This record gives sequence, structure tokens and C-alpha cells, in this order.
Amino acid sequence: MSGERPTIIDAHVMLGEETYLSLTPDELLRRMDDAGVELAIARPMGRGLVVDHVAGNDLVLGAAPRVRALVSANPWWGTTALDELARCRDRGAVGLFLDPLRQGFMPTEAVAAPLLDRAATYGWPVMFRTGAFVNADVLALAEVARRYPQTSFIAGFGGFADMWFELPGVFASVPNLLLDGSMMWGDAIREIVRDCGASRVLFASGEPRNRYAVNLRTLDRLGLDASSRRAIQFANARRVFRV
Amino acid sequence: MRMIDFHAHLDGDWLGTRLPTPAEMLADMDRENVEAACVFTVAGFYGDCRRHNDALLARANESPKRLIPFVTVDPKEGPAAVVELERCLANRRFRGVKFHPWLQAFASSMVRQTMTDILRVAATYRAPVLFHDGTPPYSTTFQVADVARWVPEATIVLGHAGLADYTDAAAQLTRDLPNLYACYCGPRPGELLHLVNVGGPDKVIFGSDFGILGWELLAERIDNVREAGLSDADLEKVLRGNAARLLRLAEEPL
Repeated sequence: MSGERPTIIDAHVMLGEETYLSLTPDELLRRMDDAGVELAIARPMGRGLVVDHVAGNDLVLGAAPRVRALVSANPWWGTTALDELARCRDRGAVGLFLDPLRQGFMPTEAVAAPLLDRAATYGWPVMFRTGAFVNADVLALAEVARRYPQTSFIAGFGGFADMWFELPGVFASVPNLLLDGSMMWGDAIREIVRDCGASRVLFASGEPRNRYAVNLRTLDRLGLDASSRRAIQFANARRVFRV
Repeated sequence: MRMIDFHAHLDGDWLGTRLPTPAEMLADMDRENVEAACVFTVAGFYGDCRRHNDALLARANESPKRLIPFVTVDPKEGPAAVVELERCLANRRFRGVKFHPWLQAFASSMVRQTMTDILRVAATYRAPVLFHDGTPPYSTTFQVADVARWVPEATIVLGHAGLADYTDAAAQLTRDLPNLYACYCGPRPGELLHLVNVGGPDKVIFGSDFGILGWELLAERIDNVREAGLSDADLEKVLRGNAARLLRLAEEPL
């Protein structure tokens, strides 16, 4: 790599294995090279997300420097989870990922609060998986974001699929919420940009669930001005993840 | 490669937003090399199915070889729904049936007798029946699969192949139920691979959900298929062959 700053930062990639999805760090780097992506923010999936978070976090932490880690710990582990976040911070993690559906809690439940408090202390952004009713409701994330106004929260998967009609209202009323565009269609992204500004959207691939080619073409079709394009393509991620 | 879009919408407006006209839809289909599209009402999900079925037919008749209308009826109306279904399917322009249990506000199990009667009529006409799936509480993938079990001679289609959260279930159920198919309409390339690998390439049908949003959605949904890494043979099945078979295009050309 040259000394130039990155021009595409991918804000959401999954490493590991989960049901029918699989992605290794080496394969991710190959896909990043093919797509011209300089930096990716990755979080664990599967066992490494739900129960064996040391292994999952080590997988994403070990993929540095072109892959930076959103680490996770199941809140039900209590103080063990907090110890794991401290370990990950010392190894260079850039944020916290929580999947309330897979990890078995409601975003607004007290069990999650210690991890959110710790993320706030570290100055970390927090990405929640959203889109599944009950546990991963984007409206529940909005409630959490209101409680921590100094923390940047990211709606992972952007509420895909059937929460699209909640997004405009949620983003208008919760200023510290950003959209992960990895799974959402172009019109949904365009609406957030139009109503709330390009500073609220993060380009992301969702690899291996989605593909770089699909999301880069979606971004092209949005017809954004240069400033908005830069914001979504890398500047917002640089700001939020401090990379 | 020629494509058939198994899941699109053709209506006047939705919740105050003007929707593409037939001419506009055809222009967008031309842009993306889509040969034909199965088109559904949107306003008809909220009531007065007879009026909206007639309106859909009129719109689709602006290009009868490319716009294939599906009937919508309201099973909450009991026998009247079956009468309306028969009225429409007797017109051979209607090739299938579309349900949206979420927007139409019914759980199939709550209207089981009527739904069973509807499916038997559809089976008589060999009309596939597509249900919106992936959205609780009325349109889960499991609910649609159950419906397929009620009437094994009917052809049932998961409208979104599991959508966001039911991909693995959709893959397993299309593998296990001979009369259940998956319309790949919304999920992403990683999900398509799983649907094809487990359910089989003959069970997956491309759809876009186009007709409510702009042409970009159609392009994006085609990208989802093309970027999944399928073989050419499987790609042809998903993009056209399976739809052509379910619509009986070889026996009854449009």
C-alpha cells in the first residue's frame, strides 16, 4: 500500500462461519483487493459471536491491519464479557458489535447496559444487528441510542428487510444513529441521505452475505454528489471508527 | 440471458405515491433485458379485490405478451373469495395467484377452510400461488410451508425465499416439500447460494419486487443473482427456466 488515505472503507463484514455463511480473513482480503476496498471493519459470526467470543474476537483482531475489529461478547457472560472487551481494546478493537437475536437479549434489557456503559467509556461506536422482529427491532435500538447520546450507534443491516418504513422517522429523531447500508436497497438509503444527510450512512458490503459488486453498483446508482459520496464511502467510517 | 421476473407490482398508486405505468415498467424491463414479469396488485391487498383484479388485467393487457397478471382474493370473505378466484382464473390471462397475508391481515390457519378451497381451485388451473413470506406474524416462511402441506397438488411459492431471517428454513422446506418453491426476491447472493445448494436449482425463481420503487431496484435484484457465482445452467433456471415451467409458457404461450 502507498501512503495515500483509503478511499473505500467497508463498515460491516462478517468473519467466521454461521449456518450457510463462511468467510476467512484471507478470502476477505482477496475480495477487498478485487473491489478496491482499502479497509474493512469486521465482526465475528456464528459460534465466535454467540458463545466463544475469545475465538471470534481473535479472528477479527488477527486480521489487522487492513481489517479492523468490531468485537463482541454475549452480555449474559457478565463481568467475563467486560474483561473480554478490555482485552480487545488493548489489542486495537475499534468498536462493539451486538446481535440481540443470536445472543438472546432485548436491546433495552438491563443485561446489555454494562457493555454499553463500557463502550461509552472507551469511546467506541456500537453496531447492533437490526431487522428481526422482537429482539432486533430498529425501534428498540433507537431507544438504546437515546439513553447514550454521546455514543454512535449503527443499525446493522439497516433494519433489513421489513423495517424500512420505520427508518425515516427513527433517523430523524435519533441523531446519534447511523445506517449500515450493506443489506438495504438504494431507495431506502437515498431517503436517509435526503432527509438526514449523507453523514448518517456508512457504505458496507455485508460480505459474505452480500457482495462488493452489488453494493458498489447500488452506490453508483444513487447519483450522489462528490461530497456525499466521499462521506458514505469512507469519511463517515473514518470519523466513527477513528481509523 | 433472457429473464422472467416472477414477482413485480403493477398498480396506480400506493398510499398516495404514484406507481410506474405499464409503459414505464416496460421501459425499465427493456433496460434490464427482462422478457416478461408476473405482476400483482398493491391496492387490492386492502380490499375490493374484484375491482383491483379488473384494473390489473386492464393494465397488463397493454402488453399481454410481457405482463402476466396474478389474481388476488381475500380469504376472509369466505366462499366469495373462491367465486372471485374462479372468475379470474377462467380468463387465461391470469396465470397465478398472489397473497400478502401481512398486508391483507390474515393468518392462513385462521381461514384454513377457505384457503384450502382456494388452493384446490388454483391447482385445478395449475396456477402457482405466491405468498409474501419472511414477515411475522402472518407471513412467516413456516406458515407458507404449512399451506403447501394442506394441498399437495397446489404449487406454492415463498414470495421472498425467506427474506431476511428465514433463508435456511426456506432452503430446507423447498428441499423437503415437492410443491414448494422459493421466489428469490430480496435476499442477497450469500443466501441464493444456500437456497440453490440445499433446495436445488429447480426450486428457485427470480423475482425483483419491482413496480413500487424505481428501476434501480430491478437492477439491484438482478445483480444479487449474477453475483452469487452460480453455474450458467443454474443461472438460466433461476432467471428464466423455472418461471417458464411454472407459468406453462411452452404449453400456453403468452
